[in-house]
Amino acid sequence: MIRMTGINKGYMLGEEKLPILKNINFTVEKGEYVAILGPSGSGKTTLMNIVGCMDEMDSGEYYLDGLAVHETPQDGLTEIRNKKIGFIFQNYQLIPTYNILQNIVMPLLARGMTYGEAEAACMNTIELLGLTNRISHKPGELSGGQKQRVSIARALVGRPSILLADEPTGALDQSSGKDVLRLFRELNDMGHTIVMITHDSQVAKSAGRIVRIVDGELYED
Amino acid sequence: MRGSMRISEIFRLVYLNLSQNKFKVILTSIGIVVGSATIMLVLAIGMGGRAEVAEQFKNLNAGAIDISYGGQGSFDMDSFMSGAMGNPFGGQGSSRGNSGRGNGSTGFPGGSAGGFSGGVPGNVGGFSGGTFPGGGSNGQQKSNPFGGRSSGDEVILTTADCEELELFVAGITDTTISYSSKASLEGGELESATSYTVAGVRSNYAGISNLKMTIGNFLTDEQDESKEKVCVLGMSVAREIFGSAYAAYDGSVYIDGRPYVVTGVLAEMGTVASGISPDTAVFVPYETGIKYVTGPSISPTVTVIAADVNSVDRVMADVETVLADSYEGVTFNISDAGTKMEAASASNETLTWLLVSMSVIVFIVGGIGIMNVLFLSVKERTNEIGILKAVGCSRKDILIEFLMEASCISFIGAVIGVLLALAVTPLVELFSVRVELTVSGALLSLLFGVVTGTLFGLQPAYRASRLIPVVALNQE
Repeated sequence: MIRMTGINKGYMLGEEKLPILKNINFTVEKGEYVAILGPSGSGKTTLMNIVGCMDEMDSGEYYLDGLAVHETPQDGLTEIRNKKIGFIFQNYQLIPTYNILQNIVMPLLARGMTYGEAEAACMNTIELLGLTNRISHKPGELSGGQKQRVSIARALVGRPSILLADEPTGALDQSSGKDVLRLFRELNDMGHTIVMITHDSQVAKSAGRIVRIVDGELYED
Repeated sequence: MRGSMRISEIFRLVYLNLSQNKFKVILTSIGIVVGSATIMLVLAIGMGGRAEVAEQFKNLNAGAIDISYGGQGSFDMDSFMSGAMGNPFGGQGSSRGNSGRGNGSTGFPGGSAGGFSGGVPGNVGGFSGGTFPGGGSNGQQKSNPFGGRSSGDEVILTTADCEELELFVAGITDTTISYSSKASLEGGELESATSYTVAGVRSNYAGISNLKMTIGNFLTDEQDESKEKVCVLGMSVAREIFGSAYAAYDGSVYIDGRPYVVTGVLAEMGTVASGISPDTAVFVPYETGIKYVTGPSISPTVTVIAADVNSVDRVMADVETVLADSYEGVTFNISDAGTKMEAASASNETLTWLLVSMSVIVFIVGGIGIMNVLFLSVKERTNEIGILKAVGCSRKDILIEFLMEASCISFIGAVIGVLLALAVTPLVELFSVRVELTVSGALLSLLFGVVTGTLFGLQPAYRASRLIPVVALNQE
């Protein structure tokens, strides 16, 4: 599913290039639930951005579902993000002026569906996440846990190959965080491949496999 | 392959964004509102001006050439052209009464100081370019005023000159001679004597000037020859004196104390470019006017009709030659209707273009306003753009969304602008400006507004579409 070899990434800091990811080799098989655990500044978010085709690597090879991402142009990356990846963000990243349904259907609209088609296609997911009564609300009217459920619903509606979650419980209270992790477990049991990034080892323990990242280098547990 | 977002769905997003920022939309579109309103009004004023010019010249025979005495001295084309273009004080009139150089060297439009003039409606040059050589030159003529030639310094054109021109200038279909003066009128519902323009004309004047009758008949040759005291009233005069054309017909008016029978009333002709305004004039037979109203010291205008509009220049040159032969060392003002029409149209066109240029500037300012707000909007919504990119919206989708927002804001502004123009029109008309609103003007304003906003929205939209997803997403 995911096969990364020799990934390097750095950012220019003045005249010098600061290495963030150093020779990363990372593999995820279909149906796996992997946690990438690392402290702040370790490069885990950068790794997730590259896995999610949101950022470019300096060197290395990355194959997703057999597609050579490292050779794919920008428009192709957009297509990969839309069809193969579902993002779940720490701070939910919902558009505040749209209601819940409008937020959730967005990946389907981007695929060329009409609003009606998209709405019909996502109703099961909305029901699964217990958001049926909230679809006409604005994100500002929901709790943190509910917002994260909306974010998960949006990630799921496109039936992606992989769910990428960046600190999904980071902004939630303990109870809501546990709910989200339980949901991830259930989704994984249903066959979804999940890669979660966290700095919290307790959260990481909910995953089937933990990979540690320290100073831009990846270590398998 | 992945399909792009449907235009209808992008439009839905645009509607969502705009409907939740109504105040911002209104503020953003103010430049376009003003621009659209301006361009619609400008076009309407331009059309109004054009209609006014057309109306003023509708009775004018395009082949008409007016000739009037311009003073002593060699003929000067520039001077008669300046006369034709309307020097308001007619500087050529160095006329002399029998007391030597008279004080009437300056003519007065309308002949209010005893100056006389004539010419078919639209005779700008005739009035202004020295057609009134003797504002005060009521002095006696040294020559026989009806004899066709002046032996003194002042020349009075006569019917004999008309005949001579018809004889020697090829391509003339008709000639007439006329003059006008101010005289006091009484009768009808008038409570006191009132000054009106009295025009002495030949019977063919009505045909040449395209005058039409509401009731009765125009003046006849017989009435002219026998110097009958009859008159034809312009519509406004008939209404003012008698209340209506029908009441005026066969009634009597007193011109300078003498009774005249009203044999007809002209149809309403509207405003004319210049010359004798038919609506406000009283027409009397040529000879009757000389005998009872003006006396022999008149400054008539001979009007020659060229058979072919394209040969007007040649006819004018021939007229000049014939007159130069008859009156050595005398200057005549010779002007043609076509030149006046062209000048009036050209000046109207110039004004329209000037106003359109102003509108374009307003649009540019409005467009820059939209651009600034959209740049700000892109900055404000960078995170939203990042989310859209993360979920798979393409650069093209985002470019179209922002462009459509710019277009919609501009369209809303343009619609408000058109409505504003409609609302302001009565106010503009209060200042006697003719405004001709047209559907094409409104559509053009809308089009200009939308195109301007869209063009100025291009750069911000392009910038939004090029944002790097991860950078945009992390922007707070």
